[in-house]
Amino acid sequence: MKNLIGFSMLLGTAVIAGTVTAQSATVLYNERVVAIEQTLPDASDLWVTPADLTRINDFVLKPEGACLADLCIPVLQDRDSDMYVTRSGQGWFNVTGLADKLEQAHVTDYADSIWSFGAMPLERRAFFRGGEAPDFALPDRDGNIVRLSDFRGKKVLLLTWASW
Amino acid sequence: MPVWQSIYEELKSENFEIISFAQDTGGEAAAGPIFDAGNVTYTTVIDVNHHISALYNLVNVPSGVWIDEAGKIQRINEGTYAAVHANGAFGTDEYVPIVRDWVAKGADSEYVWDLEQVRANIFQRTPEAEMAQPAFRIGTHYFTQGNDAKAEQYWTMAQELDPTSWNYLRQDLQYEDGGSAGPAWRERRTQIESAGGTYYAPLGIEPAGAANN
Repeated sequence: MKNLIGFSMLLGTAVIAGTVTAQSATVLYNERVVAIEQTLPDASDLWVTPADLTRINDFVLKPEGACLADLCIPVLQDRDSDMYVTRSGQGWFNVTGLADKLEQAHVTDYADSIWSFGAMPLERRAFFRGGEAPDFALPDRDGNIVRLSDFRGKKVLLLTWASW
Repeated sequence: MPVWQSIYEELKSENFEIISFAQDTGGEAAAGPIFDAGNVTYTTVIDVNHHISALYNLVNVPSGVWIDEAGKIQRINEGTYAAVHANGAFGTDEYVPIVRDWVAKGADSEYVWDLEQVRANIFQRTPEAEMAQPAFRIGTHYFTQGNDAKAEQYWTMAQELDPTSWNYLRQDLQYEDGGSAGPAWRERRTQIESAGGTYYAPLGIEPAGAANN
C-alpha cells in the first residue's frame, strides 16, 4: 500500500511538471561519486536510467530483473510499477526502491539532490553469520586499489587509526 | 606507527601483511605525513569516509582485526596499540605478543577465536545506526567541496544516528574548539563509562576457552 501511494505521488509530480525535465543528481556509494545528468523528478525516490543504475551500484537490468552476480531482484518492465516506469520510451529505475528491498541504508540531501548509500546487507551476510571478512576496494596512497581478496594466502592484520 | 613497522619487518616473511587504514576526512594532508614519518612499508590506505569501520562495525580507533589465509576473521573489534605510549597514559604491551603467536601458529594459536567468539564480538548496530555512515559520507562530500555548514549538519546527523561510534564524534570534534580529546570528548567519555559502557572494546587476551567474555 505504501508503495502504491509513493507511485501515485510520482504520477502527480509528472503531471504537474507537464514534461519530464532534466534534474541532475549526485550519488555516493562506497568510494564512488557518480554524477547523474538526468533523473525522473520525484519527491522521495531516486529514478535513473538502467545505464546509470549500473554506474551507481553495478546492478544490471535484465529481463529477469535487477541483477548483481547471482542475485536477481524481479522487476516488471512491460508495465509501470513502483520499481520501474517508462516515460516517452525511456525506462526509469527506482534506485532507492531497490535499496529498500535490499535493506540498504540511505540518506538524501534533497536540496542539492545528493543521494548516499551504505553497505548492502547481502554483502555482509557471511560476515555476521560465518565470520567472513567483508571485502573492500579502497585506493592506497598511490591510487592503486587495495582489495582484501588480493591477500588470500596471507594472514592480514587490519588496523585502523586516525591523526586526530 | 614505528612500532608496527618494526613488527612488520620481523613478521612479513611469514605470509603476513598489515593493512593500515587512516580514518581521516583531512585525507593525505592529515595522515600522509604520519605514515611517512614512520617509514611505513606495509599497505596503507587513507579512508576519508571511515568505510572500514562501517563495514566491520568498529567504533573507535585504533582497532584491530585478524584475518586468516582464507579470509576468515579470527579476532575483531579490539582497541589495539603496538605499545604503551611514552607518556604512559594509554596503550598496551599485551597485543603484539599475541600477534606474534598467531603469525607463528596460525589456527593453533590459543589466541584465535572460534566462530562463536568472533560472532559474539562483532559489534551490533541498529538499523538506524546503519544510516550513520551514508550520512557521514554526505558530510565528507560537502567538506571536500568546502561547504563546512552542510558538512557539520551531516556529521552531526551521523553522531545522532549512531551514538555508539566514537569515530564520528571525535572526527567532528577535531574541527571544533577543544579538539578530538578535549572537554566535549571527556564529558562524553565520562557519561558513557559511568553508565557502564566502555571506550575501547576491552582486549580479551586470555587463551580461548579460559574466559569467554
